[in-house]
Amino acid sequence: MTITVSSAVASVTLTGIDSDDVYMLAVSNCIPVTNGQNGELRVTKSGTAQSDANYDFAFKGLRTDTTFSNLASVGSSKWTYPIGWSTSNTSAEAGVSGNAIIYLYNFNSSSEYSFITVETATKYSGGTLAPTGGALHKVASASDGVHFQWSSGNIDVGAVFTLYRVV
Amino acid sequence: MSEYGYIPEAPEQSFGNNKGIFTPKDIYDLTRADKYTNYGQLELIETQTVSNVATVDFTTLGTYNVHFMTFNDIHSATNNVLTNVRFYENEVLETGAVYQYAYQYGNVAGSFGESRSTSNTRIYTLMNLGNATNETANGYTYFYNLTDSSKYSFLTFHSMTINATPNGNMNFGSAVLPQASTVTGIQVLMQSGNITSGTISLYGIKEYS
Repeated sequence: MTITVSSAVASVTLTGIDSDDVYMLAVSNCIPVTNGQNGELRVTKSGTAQSDANYDFAFKGLRTDTTFSNLASVGSSKWTYPIGWSTSNTSAEAGVSGNAIIYLYNFNSSSEYSFITVETATKYSGGTLAPTGGALHKVASASDGVHFQWSSGNIDVGAVFTLYRVV
Repeated sequence: MSEYGYIPEAPEQSFGNNKGIFTPKDIYDLTRADKYTNYGQLELIETQTVSNVATVDFTTLGTYNVHFMTFNDIHSATNNVLTNVRFYENEVLETGAVYQYAYQYGNVAGSFGESRSTSNTRIYTLMNLGNATNETANGYTYFYNLTDSSKYSFLTFHSMTINATPNGNMNFGSAVLPQASTVTGIQVLMQSGNITSGTISLYGIKEYS
């Protein structure tokens, strides 16, 4: 499925994962209305975003302006950094956006955790940022999709989210 | 009798140049003849559902320049081992210390590092996983130039696993078999011991000229 943001919204939810296949989420032109925000991704179960403290992630923060960063957390209420990391808005920098390819594994499994691998390319005032790595939601039950929002403020017009099943 | 809606004959159909009205059978026939326009096709070559084996071989590669492999829910019999790949060249398994790889890794507890080799007997692709319940490996690998006898064979890979601690850990990197050869097969194996279970799928990325 594809969701194109036609007017600023607080969040985007994509569901429909109902098989044991690997899935892929492609995100392009995702921009925060409020300057300098991080992306926040959660799994959905029965269409509802889960906000429990079972999100772990490890991303290498590739960046053009300084030494790469280590971005890691255990027991968070969301996956931070997929799609955006301190991402500028268009008032700060025209042409900026958050973009990502995210593969989803084991989402449909009722007995395994939900895993993702993430490649992101985005920008802030200091340079280009590319959090790359993986994450998991440590709840052994089926997830049927993902929910995205910025750490604060809305998603600006023009963002495109497409969920594919790899068959 | 019309052909693709034209009477008496339709224009010649070719990839990127389809004209007319197409029935499902027309689309099927033209697709089989590589004459129907379908961009960006990922073509499934083979899926193997693994159950307690030491190695998994994919020996049908087709003629693609780029291959894509997914690893889903891989479980290991042995604790704390990495998932590896090595190649068959002209049906002979390359087991020499000739593979090169480099990857960045990191775990959710905040430990990050680099791993590299210029002379290994296999390519370490997916990060290490434990052998307890829910400790699985998941990821993907792209392969380049496998079927080109004049080129080295390259790969890029990216994974997320749960190790023996248990902590989530990730890696991403690339590798090469620096031998100009025709790769005729891909072997997947654990660093030691059996692959207990999992699903591995190999795709070809179709291109058109």
